Amino acid sequence: MKNNFPVNNRFKNIRESAKSSLLLEIEKSLKEIKETFPDNPEGMGYFYKKFSTVLEKTSGIYNGKDVIGIMCIQVPEELIYAVGATPVRICSGAYSMEQAGTELLSPKACPLIKSTMGSLHLNIFANGIEPLMIINPTTCDQKKKIGEIEGTSRIPFYTLELPPSKETEEARFYWQSVVKKLAKKLENVTGQKLTRKRLKKAISIVSLAQAQFRRFYNIRKKWPVILGKDAILVSNAYFFDDIISWTYRLSLLNDELDDRAMKKQYIVSKKAPRIFLTGSPSIFPNMKIPVLIEQLGGIIVAEEFCSSGRLLYDTVAVDEWSLYDMIPALADRYLKPCTCPSFTPNIDRERKILTMVKDFFADGVIYQSFTGCQLYHMEAKRVEKILEKYEIPMLYIETDYAADNTGQLTTRVEAFMELLQNKIT
Amino acid sequence: MKKIRTFINNSNLARFRFYFQIVAFILFVYGGYLSITISERLPVFACPFNKVSGGTCYLMPLQHQLHITLNRFASSGGLHLLKGFLIFAGLSLIFSKGWCGYICPLGTIQDWITKARKYLHISFATYDKTIFDHLKKIKYILLFLIILIPIGVKNSFVGLPVLPHDIFPPFCKICPGRILLPLFSGNTSQIYIDFSTKTAMFMTASGIIVAGIFITGAFVKKRFFCLFCPMAVLLFILSKVAFLRLNKDGAKCTRCGNCYRVCDVGIREIADDITNKNIVKDDCIMCFKCVEACPENKCLTVSFLRIPLFTSTETGFFKRYTRKSHTPPDSRSVK
Repeated sequence: MKNNFPVNNRFKNIRESAKSSLLLEIEKSLKEIKETFPDNPEGMGYFYKKFSTVLEKTSGIYNGKDVIGIMCIQVPEELIYAVGATPVRICSGAYSMEQAGTELLSPKACPLIKSTMGSLHLNIFANGIEPLMIINPTTCDQKKKIGEIEGTSRIPFYTLELPPSKETEEARFYWQSVVKKLAKKLENVTGQKLTRKRLKKAISIVSLAQAQFRRFYNIRKKWPVILGKDAILVSNAYFFDDIISWTYRLSLLNDELDDRAMKKQYIVSKKAPRIFLTGSPSIFPNMKIPVLIEQLGGIIVAEEFCSSGRLLYDTVAVDEWSLYDMIPALADRYLKPCTCPSFTPNIDRERKILTMVKDFFADGVIYQSFTGCQLYHMEAKRVEKILEKYEIPMLYIETDYAADNTGQLTTRVEAFMELLQNKIT
Repeated sequence: MKKIRTFINNSNLARFRFYFQIVAFILFVYGGYLSITISERLPVFACPFNKVSGGTCYLMPLQHQLHITLNRFASSGGLHLLKGFLIFAGLSLIFSKGWCGYICPLGTIQDWITKARKYLHISFATYDKTIFDHLKKIKYILLFLIILIPIGVKNSFVGLPVLPHDIFPPFCKICPGRILLPLFSGNTSQIYIDFSTKTAMFMTASGIIVAGIFITGAFVKKRFFCLFCPMAVLLFILSKVAFLRLNKDGAKCTRCGNCYRVCDVGIREIADDITNKNIVKDDCIMCFKCVEACPENKCLTVSFLRIPLFTSTETGFFKRYTRKSHTPPDSRSVK
């Protein structure tokens, strides 16, 4: 670890005050999520609790394993599990962290980047973890550069070179070699050997989580038994929760939702507009848009976010269960189906949105784009065009982490809901 | 009915295929012991040089039926050829390329070699795909020669001399099946080099070399020989109207590449083609490993006469891929 990091009194003070405002923010957001909606599923209790205690340093979490910080969804988590460590995603959705990060970045930068930057700078992470290393895939320009900024963090960064396109075989082989190199690096950092058995086990652990996650989505597809704000929380908890307990808790929640569906205990009326959410990812505590939509009587049926819908959808298929085939198979799983807008061309994203809108019987699409997030902004037009072709209404919202522009947003979302309502009836 | 369908879709097709191949191998390589002759126009390498073979590979009679003077094509010779082809086509239509993936003894041998390699944890070779894309055209050239050479042995074209007779039958001379399959019944008589004439020497020596390449090739690359198989071309042409189909619903595809990943013959279109329904390519061996590896409901479907037999499903996928992990639900987090 680098020791030249300035830990002076000023830093300590900033850190303390940021931490307390983060706590307030979490409390406020959680209260809104919990209390402005009646009849939340009981299984959500675990996830609410996870978030209310997110800053507490829980002893014994991850079974005392080493922690590796990860940034985007392209980091092969299975490799990290296989070397006996736990991945924790450090992308942040906190406004208080954003304010801390603004000091180091341009004010026009994307709030997610600024926020993540702030939490890196102040060393404030979920569960009070101390990552050995942060793996940063070269996705969007802003994200890939933050590791380079002086004073970002005391934790070493590892740049994972993601190709800018995923269409060609060249990109595929390049990425496979990058992932192979990452495996070596992880072995070095943790001092544990990556073996066939351990990787196989890691793959199946993540597979089980994927199976539950897909089941969760299938339930949402058919019955309005859970609100989107809760669903986003569940997937956000995956960022930092122990994977086995997360899978188990999600399976309990799924059982409960199945039960509710059987009893026709729906959380909204069947006439509520079904919203499909896509664009820049909502990460707790920034739940402004999802909460707003559902407070106005809609229901988010699915999200195409890297923080939820995309998170655990894609699967690994291995033909030969030896390291020489498992590692490239993992690499393929994180590259080929990924719909991150950092890829050009990215027709898969449009296709995915279209299929999901159809599969989830969505009435309309809300496209969230953070101020300063170029990529999602640039893809918005194309997505809108293709949705127009199929006569699916779309609302484009540019927003950030600050809570002050809700008035104007409410009017726009309300009008959109009305439009959908008229379309339904 | 629905239960049966779920059972099939959740099943482990690879295991079924493994046993099916063994049964087919016994039937087609040792069928003679039970005096079984399935057909003499088979679309698989059931080599007649193996005296106890359970049938005959079509390429052998095809070459013989083409080994006639031109004027006979208009009479009985042509009729024989047509009749032979019709029987072959009929058989091909039923299983289409399934003959390759489930029945062909040479294919089975290659799969066994691959299994041995897997068991030893030795990696397959990675290679430049563009080179293979060129090499794969060899099978079309081979088929062309299979047709042309027998005619050329009997007829002279534009005043050129006829081809030497000992080149005949050209494909059998270089086919690894002629050398390898008789070995399974203890017959080593085919391992020889004929030094009587230059042509005979060249052809028989090539045969030995090809058999060597066949074995080493199968060891470094799955289904190596299938990429050069002329029978695959014939089956591919007929597969467009065959009963057994592999269909893809492009709208359901996420292009995750799972299918391409597990494909023995490396067909990239299976993952990337989202417009065509019929996804069978010339190299496809219809092993349906792609269907097993596909996690999207009803994206890939195997059908017979339009009746779906085996479909990709999410539950089937997870069942197959998490089967061996019995990770118990976590109890330590329950408080």
